[in-house]
Amino acid sequence: MNLLPQFLIDSILLGGLYTLMAIGFALAFGVTRIINFAHGEFIMLGAYAAFWLFTGWGLDPLVVMPAVIVLGFACGWLLFKAFIERVLAAPNINQILLTFAIGLVIQHIAVILWSGDSRSTTPEYALKALTIGDAFIPYGRLVGCGVAVLLVAMLIAWLKWTEDGRAVRAVAQNSDAATLMGINVKGIYALSFALSSALGVATGVVVSFIITVTPFMGFPMLVKAVAIVIVAGMGSIVGMVVGAFVLAFAETGFAYYVTEGSGWAEGVAFVLITAILIIRPYGLFGDAEA
Amino acid sequence: MRPELFLRWAGFVLAVAVLAVPFIGSPSLADLTFRTCTLAIIAISWNMMAGAGLISLGHSGFWGVGSYVAILCANHFGIPFLPSLLFGMLGGAMIGAGLALITGRLRGIYFAVATLAMSEGLRVMAVMLPDLTGGAQGAYLDSALFPGALAVNIAAGCGAVLAACFSWYVSRTRYHYAFRAMRANERASQMLGIHPMLYRVSIVIVSGAMASYAGAVSVWYGGYLDPGVAFNLHITLMAQIAPILGGIYTLAGPILGTLAAAGLGEVTRQWLGHVEGVSLLVFGMTLAICVLYLPKGIQGGIDRLFRSVVKAPLADDSTPTRTTR
Repeated sequence: MNLLPQFLIDSILLGGLYTLMAIGFALAFGVTRIINFAHGEFIMLGAYAAFWLFTGWGLDPLVVMPAVIVLGFACGWLLFKAFIERVLAAPNINQILLTFAIGLVIQHIAVILWSGDSRSTTPEYALKALTIGDAFIPYGRLVGCGVAVLLVAMLIAWLKWTEDGRAVRAVAQNSDAATLMGINVKGIYALSFALSSALGVATGVVVSFIITVTPFMGFPMLVKAVAIVIVAGMGSIVGMVVGAFVLAFAETGFAYYVTEGSGWAEGVAFVLITAILIIRPYGLFGDAEA
Repeated sequence: MRPELFLRWAGFVLAVAVLAVPFIGSPSLADLTFRTCTLAIIAISWNMMAGAGLISLGHSGFWGVGSYVAILCANHFGIPFLPSLLFGMLGGAMIGAGLALITGRLRGIYFAVATLAMSEGLRVMAVMLPDLTGGAQGAYLDSALFPGALAVNIAAGCGAVLAACFSWYVSRTRYHYAFRAMRANERASQMLGIHPMLYRVSIVIVSGAMASYAGAVSVWYGGYLDPGVAFNLHITLMAQIAPILGGIYTLAGPILGTLAAAGLGEVTRQWLGHVEGVSLLVFGMTLAICVLYLPKGIQGGIDRLFRSVVKAPLADDSTPTRTTR
């Protein structure tokens, strides 16, 4: 059997998801210059929200997504106002440790509330698949990828054509100059952070019917998002998309074509990070000043 | 009495106590001392790197490498306890050298991410090379080589005391000032005639070797190793919490913080130990609270106390510098 069509389909579907994951993460990082090590935990919370609404009330993850996104936005905004805002001017080390600690706290609240058990959301479409020739397309991943592409397109449109979106881009490029232009930089920071959290929980809702939901699912996803941002470099959405697909193709390629590859695929993100940091420390698409 | 003198005496008493506990303490006290000592070693090691402006999120990587080198030495080559510790340190030093050379130009966040990647990459390797490491099932240390709990406890105690002495020694040399300059601004430190790359590689080598020593001793103590144990994120977290809690960039900070963290860990375990995940929750909250409200940690509090009692002017060494963009 020819693996190539299946490999391409799987990689592309995964790449779409990774794009959403990475852009959500990069939005807060690019604007506030603070790596949010708790971003994975927002993905986890989104997945749990989808899971509980599905098992408790039988609501489809896609139906509840808008409500969960609004909730994620509110949580992100509160988190920023309560904690992140205090370390905006602090040394890097304080910022890193603070978000790391917040992620840890959220993760273990989840462990205490919901135990460490693996769960998964199973709407009907998640169990079916489409067959074209030899290739096999699971509906769940197709739907997930579709939603991801839609959300990313909406974000890009917002960034491009709205006043707030322009302000976000201005602050990301140069926050001092943006201040001089009369932009409320702190407000934009809060907005970006909240939007980033909203995209995080949206990612969680989408992956809830694709991978298993556990309190520890966030950290590996965070690392993948970091890898994509490092591959892409700062400040380039095109780069982010390319980075997401590079990671997706590399991981899927490993899983398909290397013996015991699915185990090694977990390490691809780390190899990629290391390789890019050696060859081009500012990413494929970043500029050295970022 | 001046605070430095007080801390020196306190440190001396503490060192004697740590070395005496394996001989006279009860087994449970010895166990607590052992865990405190290994924590002290990684805390000092982390603090030394932080002192040079290098934020490590990968101390579990050093720890895990030390553990695996020690267990491989023992199981595959029959190397006894003490030499295996040395090989473990060598392994950590080599990983540290590799890390420092690879990340040569990286600063701040990017360096931190690279250390995280290193430790997770090593974990994947440990899982995927079962012939060498025992894979996900883990491996048991050859019990014929076990030197006895007393020897392992003494090794941990000596390690902690030596690590503390070493960091004290470094703080009295010109390297201390070089590292401080690098922390404030690596480019500017170059103009002072400091060779950042050289200093960076040497501090990461030393720090890696220290953390690996703790990992190597621990595998002899526990007798069992799997990738989850060796590269546990918990280790990375504890390596950060202790210095932050005690007072980052200071000499006594990591040790004070280790004692506080060990105490906190014990209290949580006794009161709430039956709830899964609660200890890490408590440590996470401690870390967040310290970063937000106690940036200079316990050491900062003590300094303030002494200042108000003695009214002596203090050389403030612990002020975190603001980073420049």
